[in-house]
Amino acid sequence: MNHHLQKVVRHLPHYLPLVGILFFGYWGFYTFSYDRIFQTAVAVGVAFGYITWGVVHHYVHKDLYLEVVLEYIFVSILGLVIIFSLILAA
Amino acid sequence: MSAASYLLDRTIHLVVPRPSNNHRARLLHSSSLVYFSLLVLAFQLFIGYGPRMGLRVLGYAANISPTEVIRLTNEKRVTQGLSALREDPVLSQAALAKGTDMLNKDYWAHVSPDGTEPWAFFASAGYAYRYAGENLARDFSNPTDAVEAWMTSPSHRDNLLSDKYADIGIAVVEGDLNGVDTTIIVQLFGTRAVNVPATIPVAEASEEVVPTAELIPEVLPTEEELAVTQPVGNNELISGASGLDSNSDLVGSPFGMTKTLALVMGLVFMTVMVVDGVVAYRRGLKRFVGRTVAHVSFIGMVLAIVLIAKAGRIF
Repeated sequence: MNHHLQKVVRHLPHYLPLVGILFFGYWGFYTFSYDRIFQTAVAVGVAFGYITWGVVHHYVHKDLYLEVVLEYIFVSILGLVIIFSLILAA
Repeated sequence: MSAASYLLDRTIHLVVPRPSNNHRARLLHSSSLVYFSLLVLAFQLFIGYGPRMGLRVLGYAANISPTEVIRLTNEKRVTQGLSALREDPVLSQAALAKGTDMLNKDYWAHVSPDGTEPWAFFASAGYAYRYAGENLARDFSNPTDAVEAWMTSPSHRDNLLSDKYADIGIAVVEGDLNGVDTTIIVQLFGTRAVNVPATIPVAEASEEVVPTAELIPEVLPTEEELAVTQPVGNNELISGASGLDSNSDLVGSPFGMTKTLALVMGLVFMTVMVVDGVVAYRRGLKRFVGRTVAHVSFIGMVLAIVLIAKAGRIF
């Protein structure tokens, strides 16, 4: 258990920027509920931020491969498509 | 292999990492993510273009009382230290005419496709204005959200909280807009020209107009327009262009359907990611894949956004 705790503490600085990116996305949508342009910009910004975080994170951990980058890109695209569909349907 | 065993095997293949899926849940493969993205897009095309091809199965219907919209508007004004607006039946009649015009001509804008400006509805209803303004809202399930949406937009908020206005008229119209059953709120503001003190020349008074959104009349009313007609209609009347029932029906709306699909999809992916991550961790699998914690967090943010997303547009 102690080993797991040490592992979490060691990885915390890597995940704090991710928490910031995701919190920014939620805050942007909450604050600008009816501003479609801003919401779209926030969604695109968060998606790029997430991909960038993934690339940097895996580069630092020396396990950055094309498949990994593609996975972050496709997860981001899925998230973007879901959010865009809501913005368009609202 | 029985059908049940086959289905179970396929499900495990989709969700649990094992040799048959290269030790990664099949649903999390890049190709699966692309398929699901395309599925969402196809659904959007269906609900977006389906109604235009005659499929009228979806719609926004809401129970919105004009009186409640006026009450909420005045509540906002009083909170800001402004006087409450007076409900004007003539202005409500103008709002009703504008809303009906939008449904009849299939447009969602301040100016109609044939160039008719909002002020034409003031004039034709017999409201000779000194100041005039218009706020529009559609697809809201309740009046509170509509008023709050106007308050978040600087130009609409300026209209709503302008001390230049004395009267308000509201109409809620329901009908077919571009193939989708829609509820539109038309909110008109005005101050009658006849209220202008006699000592102030009309031309001079017009220069004092403070821009309120994009909705300031460009010309002063003519002498003919100054004639005040008898109030007609009842503000509580809602034009029922398509005879929709007045119960809230957002679940069946394009937004409700999209929200449900997004929630289901997000929850499925989150669950599969957790299962895949836990199984891989317990088995000590060494894989070159993205971080499960990061993906779950990202999809979690998407789900949170889906949950707080609200239907409705303002103009």
